[in-house]
Amino acid sequence: VRRRRVIGAAVAAVAAVTAGAQAQPSGAARVALRAHREAGEYEEAIAAARRADLAAELGELLRMTGRYPEAQRVLTAARAAGGADSLLVILQLGLLREELGARHEAFRDYDRLIAAYNRRRGLTSAELAAVGTAVERLSMTDPQLARDALRAFDEAIAADRDNLDAQLAVGALFLARYNGAEAQATFERVLARDSLQPRALLGLARVARFSGTGGVSALLERSLEINPRLVDARVFRAELLSEVDDHAGARREIAAALEVNPRSPAALSTRAAVAWLTGDSAEFEAARRSVLDANPRSAIPDLTAADLAARHRLYADAARFARQAVARDSLSWRGWALLGVNELRLGRMDSGRVHLERAFAGDPYDVWTKNTLDLLDTLEVFPARRFERFQVVADAAEVDALTPYVAPLAEEAYASMARRYGVTAPPIRIELFRRHADFSVRTMGLVGLGALGVSFGPVVAMDSPTARPRGEFNWGSTLWHEIAHSFHMAASRHRVPRWFTEGLAVYEERMARPGWGDDASPGFLTAYKAGRLLPVSRLNDGFVRPAYPEQVGFSYYQASLVCERIAEGHGFDALVRMLRAYGNGRDTRHVFREVLGVELDSFDGAFADWLEHRFATQLAALGSHGDGRGAPPSPSTVLALARSRPDDFRAQLLAGQGLVRDGRLTEAVPFLERAKSLFPEYAEEDGPYRLLADVARARGDLGRAEAELAAMTARNERSYDAHLALADVRLAVGDSAGALRALDALLYVDPTEPDVHVRLAELAEAQGKTALAAREWRVLVALDPADPVTAYYRLARAELAAGNREAARRAVLRALEQAPGFEPALELLLELRSGGGDGSDGSVR
Amino acid sequence: MGTAEAAGARVRLVVGALLIASPAVAQTHVLVACGLGGEPRYQETFLATGLAVARALEERMGVPRPNIRLLAEDPARDTMVAARSTKEEIDRSLAAMADRAAPGATILIVLIGHGSEGPAGPRVNLPGPDLTAVEFAALLERFGTRQVVVVNAASASGDWVREVARPGRVVLTATRSTREREETQFGRHFAEALASDEADRDKDGRLSVLEAFEYARREVVRAYERDQRLRTEHPLLDADGDGVGTMEPVATEGDGAIAATLYLGGQRGGTPLAGLAAVKDSLEREVARLRGRKPAMDAGEYERRLEGLLLELARVNRELRAEEGRR
Repeated sequence: VRRRRVIGAAVAAVAAVTAGAQAQPSGAARVALRAHREAGEYEEAIAAARRADLAAELGELLRMTGRYPEAQRVLTAARAAGGADSLLVILQLGLLREELGARHEAFRDYDRLIAAYNRRRGLTSAELAAVGTAVERLSMTDPQLARDALRAFDEAIAADRDNLDAQLAVGALFLARYNGAEAQATFERVLARDSLQPRALLGLARVARFSGTGGVSALLERSLEINPRLVDARVFRAELLSEVDDHAGARREIAAALEVNPRSPAALSTRAAVAWLTGDSAEFEAARRSVLDANPRSAIPDLTAADLAARHRLYADAARFARQAVARDSLSWRGWALLGVNELRLGRMDSGRVHLERAFAGDPYDVWTKNTLDLLDTLEVFPARRFERFQVVADAAEVDALTPYVAPLAEEAYASMARRYGVTAPPIRIELFRRHADFSVRTMGLVGLGALGVSFGPVVAMDSPTARPRGEFNWGSTLWHEIAHSFHMAASRHRVPRWFTEGLAVYEERMARPGWGDDASPGFLTAYKAGRLLPVSRLNDGFVRPAYPEQVGFSYYQASLVCERIAEGHGFDALVRMLRAYGNGRDTRHVFREVLGVELDSFDGAFADWLEHRFATQLAALGSHGDGRGAPPSPSTVLALARSRPDDFRAQLLAGQGLVRDGRLTEAVPFLERAKSLFPEYAEEDGPYRLLADVARARGDLGRAEAELAAMTARNERSYDAHLALADVRLAVGDSAGALRALDALLYVDPTEPDVHVRLAELAEAQGKTALAAREWRVLVALDPADPVTAYYRLARAELAAGNREAARRAVLRALEQAPGFEPALELLLELRSGGGDGSDGSVR
Repeated sequence: MGTAEAAGARVRLVVGALLIASPAVAQTHVLVACGLGGEPRYQETFLATGLAVARALEERMGVPRPNIRLLAEDPARDTMVAARSTKEEIDRSLAAMADRAAPGATILIVLIGHGSEGPAGPRVNLPGPDLTAVEFAALLERFGTRQVVVVNAASASGDWVREVARPGRVVLTATRSTREREETQFGRHFAEALASDEADRDKDGRLSVLEAFEYARREVVRAYERDQRLRTEHPLLDADGDGVGTMEPVATEGDGAIAATLYLGGQRGGTPLAGLAAVKDSLEREVARLRGRKPAMDAGEYERRLEGLLLELARVNRELRAEEGRR
């Protein structure tokens, strides 16, 4: 752990000896000083700098440890003396001035470095790197200067391959310009020369977070093992901990950072942000004031708070802090970007765009802002369909096909939740994206998000049904889920933790419609048996820091079971009271104690008991085969296994599947029945319900097929084919009302198949459901069907039957506009003109 | 591709039997050739598409069975298949067709299968030697000035437009070039166009080449979008013989304008329209002209004038029907 320190001390000793022998005190002292610095031995480093009279290094170290007045004295005196390192001194003076709010003077210092560079008087590698740093600082006024900074750093590295400071600066420059790949390569090059370079490891940790590649904690850990006093690393770890609500851990890290540098703006700002998040207004004010007293123009406290607020879904607060940040520092491009993107999340589209454009003008490298501005160009031409409590915004090609289903479902969800949660959410803007990449950019500024939807409170964004291959998701349950989040945020003043709102939203899905929401899977229960599920106290980690790929999905379901268990034991109202308690700033431990009267640890135990009782059969049926998937063994082995293990779900299912494949349908049935009874929740396409339905259809037993398909669709929300097959079977047995219900449910999987709308419309007409029929013809027309003329004509008929004479007139004109000789439509036009044919008695057809 | 049964299983918007066979369609002669499948799945789907085309032409478009010749890789698979789809048999079939077809007849040739590009240019894969586009174009010379409609629904068929086109010929291809070599869906949707009322967009009871092409093209696009796949077929239509295909033809100009006047299953009878029929025809043209001016017109004014014209048209149509009833 302390290898770097040992090496640091050894290098320092060797340097001292070498310096004595070779009479090159400053060069050797610098080596020793750096060794101490990288090991976090700042006092030793300061002493070494004093001894060797290295003013620039001394000034930097004094600044890094918060001794601003002394740093200023040392640097000012050195500058006046005009020694050999004067350029390095000027840079350090500039950096100090900037930190103290004297930006104008700092920029003048940086300009002097540029002038020195332009005079070309044989600058050393360190001086070239100083020029690079100065130009990089100036690039906040002119983004193009970043290229000049890179050139200066490159020259510094060319002059001295061992100038790791210059290489680290290049890595940081790339990362600040959103170039993760180059940043990573640069930091790795540093580590190739010095595998214990803590700042390079910190750089890689930041790159890993930027790229979402994982391993952030491990890299950060290594960095801090080498230099436990690295302030930036401590602050970074505090940020990570605060994101997962480990505020105590975050405070410990900040305290460790402040021990090194009690005036660190980053550490104090993070302390303020964490204090604000936990409702400690005194600490918030004190920490914030410490930064602002030193530099009244510093945007760092507000930026840090804005960032943390946004990560906790407190978008209005994030926008407020960002606005304060840019008010203090108009060159804070990150501030403008945070302001813009959070305004967009709040549905303030116009001001959001204006502020993002300002951010992009100042920082054209910001890929998040660039992507979001591009997306806004797309969103701008999306039509909006407005309702009292919702706006539906979608691509023009599908907005009118989706709105007839989205709007009523959203209204139903709103009415239901407003009643049960006792709050009214603000009007919600529902954005539906045909391209998943657009939804991803809307959510996080980058492509690659795996989620289906997101709620920012007043804005819900999600994949439209056409954004993914059919059967991948149920858009209806997704919309319900996201609207639930909007209510949870409203009820908790946006302070509900991720695990609770996700669990409650999935539980909401299950209450909304049969089959919606997650269900127990063999994989989930196998993970439970293996002890791979998290206790409630750590369930948030399953969402934000999953330890294995399936953990996010398992955590959703587990969290929903926690909510279900609470509702069972304490009533649904307890969940609402928990939201309110979160809104009052309580953490999960306090919320459980106050609302449920139980300690979290004892709840964990009781929950495990409940889960084992509820899924006793399923858990016992998992056998030793795991999750019921994987390559099947030979057919004879499968059968033998199934016969010898009648309580093994996977053995029974595999036997049934194999027998169906071989056409031995009668033999397959008992195995499938057994599998179904052992794990009734397993309703996938290869599961017992579907196979039993297929067997029943093959035997002509449509009643049985109907029962199996109905049971399957009551558990599986995504299967398009099962819903369609159910409709077919019901029609075949004369249950047209049931067929209509099946097709109606199918629309939540995919509402874009024209044939389904024709079938639904005709079924509705046959059942006298004129309004439903008209809706279906309207949607068909919106889907740009192959035969629009007939579709418009049928729509006109349906509108007339539903009593919508004016709509009927408009529709028949659309039909005849394209096919003026179309006689049935011509007759209908005359009929409409003469005032006939009205009513809903079906006589119009 | 699906089977013919699958293709026919789609739900249709049915208003009435609008495509009515007329005596004029006896002058259409058809050759449908299903190429080499290479594996049973393709053999089956090519035949299913070929059968769907042939049956639709006979049953819905009124083309007499003797005027339809269906060739396939395995003639034993269906009684409607006349012979094996070799290059020699295609040659023989076209020669016989040229002998039988009257000077004003329409020749419809539909090729289904795998296409590719070889040293001799684009070709369609057949049992035995393949047929190149150049060879095929030479076989068509025997039809002289008769109207020829070629539908190459094979993969990699796009360059056939360049090789086969000339004035008096209409060429439809499933792809825009030989580089689009994946299995195509165009043939199946072309068969659907022939088999249903949906493709007849103007509801005049006839199916123009443009309407059939547009239907098939749109359904291809829709299928790729629904399945979230990158489109590997972009159908082309060339009707003016310039050898340059159009991907999205319109009825008002170029290839689309010509294809809009050619009907699959026969042309409108030659008797000039008179009396109420002429009035109706004139009103229909007036509606088309008004529609052309729509983008430049005030929406309310457009609606008002459209409704006025259509009401007039509806009354004339009713009188015309009454007059026909009295006769």
